[in-house]
Amino acid sequence: MSDLLPYLIGGLANGALYGLLALGFVLVYRATSVVNFAIGEFLLVGAYLTYTFALFLPLPLAMLAALPAAFLFGIIVERGFVRPLLGRNVVAVIMATIGLASTLDGGAQLVWGPDLKYLPGSLPNLGFQTGEIFVSSRAVWNLLLALPLGLGLLWLLRRSRYGILVRAISEREVAALALGIPTARILAGVWGVSALLATLAGALLAVASGVGPNLVFLGLKVFPVAILGGLDSVGGALLAGFILGILEALSQRYLETVLPGFTEALPFLVVLLVLLVRPYGLLGERQIERV
Amino acid sequence: MILSVENLKVVYRGVILALDGVSLEVREGEAVALLGPNGAGKSSLVRAVAGLLPKFEGRVLDGHVRLFGEEATHLDPVRITGLGLTAVLEGRPLFRYLTPVENLVAAGHRLSPRELREGMDEVFTRFPRLYERRHEQAGYLSGGEQQMLLIGMALLTRPRVLVVDEPSLGLAPKLVEEVMHTLDALRREKGLSLLLVEQNARAALAIVDRVYVMERGRVVFEGDAQSAQEDQDVMEFYLGKEEVGFRQARRYRRRKRWV
Repeated sequence: MSDLLPYLIGGLANGALYGLLALGFVLVYRATSVVNFAIGEFLLVGAYLTYTFALFLPLPLAMLAALPAAFLFGIIVERGFVRPLLGRNVVAVIMATIGLASTLDGGAQLVWGPDLKYLPGSLPNLGFQTGEIFVSSRAVWNLLLALPLGLGLLWLLRRSRYGILVRAISEREVAALALGIPTARILAGVWGVSALLATLAGALLAVASGVGPNLVFLGLKVFPVAILGGLDSVGGALLAGFILGILEALSQRYLETVLPGFTEALPFLVVLLVLLVRPYGLLGERQIERV
Repeated sequence: MILSVENLKVVYRGVILALDGVSLEVREGEAVALLGPNGAGKSSLVRAVAGLLPKFEGRVLDGHVRLFGEEATHLDPVRITGLGLTAVLEGRPLFRYLTPVENLVAAGHRLSPRELREGMDEVFTRFPRLYERRHEQAGYLSGGEQQMLLIGMALLTRPRVLVVDEPSLGLAPKLVEEVMHTLDALRREKGLSLLLVEQNARAALAIVDRVYVMERGRVVFEGDAQSAQEDQDVMEFYLGKEEVGFRQARRYRRRKRWV
């Protein structure tokens, strides 16, 4: 039992990252129905931004400074790639995000090079030990940043005026426009927040294992997480992130010896099984139909 | 002049001509009905004055929309509502997954928290049924309640002229009467101007001063409510005063070519 706990804590730490990234993904999907295939690249760019800032600033400050930069980056992406395609078929925008993904991939390698880079400096060590159990600093930081941010965002979306407007626009953009709601500005903000979340995830990942082009692959994890939570459910994304993080940890502990490599496939298998029972995902919303 | 439309031509996707030179006016404090059958171009006119045509792949080919004397033909909807025109589109355009309270908050996005609270109180006093169901998803409200909510939302945008597209659609006659009565009362209380777009001519005529009738993208009749009711053709074809038998229907088709 006691050898299981470290795995679980590691799983939670990973889950927090998955949750953050999926949150950014789901937010955009919900508000604009755009499946952002470039979310992994958002994370990559965010990690590199943090790295660049960290060359001049202490790491915690660099992470902080990267956030507004990421927000701006999200807005630029929205203006440049999404806005011109607004009103077109949603698939057109989705294809554009795939193109954007390649562009960002290549662009990042051009600017920062293909080799793995480690962040100078480190976050204050918040790891601690209670009895036999050692909780790593990484786990504490991940949870400390991801949980309040995720829950705060959830609250903002539920309760704040801005959140209500986002939900209104996501449901019926034309109706929102007719009420004079500045939809373009608000949707740009949503992309900004999405990039910000991805950047934070990227920064946390970079702190733990450095920055390199391979960070993009974490973007693939977003799809099972988001689908498991319910594509349009922000709370579901957070929850599903933790669930998959823990399941991966369990699989690593118990199944990896029997079925090597199984952990990689596990998230997708879980999604498949859950969708059979709950087609809308864990917390996805059902369509309202009045007959 | 609150709202004036001059010789407006509107096309969809560059080829489908929906409005073919429409002119109409709404004066200060006046209630005007725009009647006409399906496909006459009524909703296109609503979209045009609200600046929403681009969202429907349409655009203004020719002509002008003027709001309070200002050129507003190609303004975006945010500016137009800012000037004081609010359009309630057809098909109950409320946010179904939001509660009535949230719908009202979204509609009152320009108001300060205090104004918003006062505005909401006013709406809920006017429509007590909405207050009872204020925390349910609006998609589950009845048709009449949804229409009331829409009117309440329109009020929270603080309009000077209100354009309402087919509020009677899908409502029981009793409710249609209630909606019309509410619109009429609001107009008088707030000194609003009202452009009421309807297929249900009888209901609309009860509360308006003047009438336009559209057909195939053109205005084919213009006059005060009284003369509309006296006009033989308008009465027959749009109000269904007499039963339109087969022979009349043919006459109707024949006449249509002339207007």
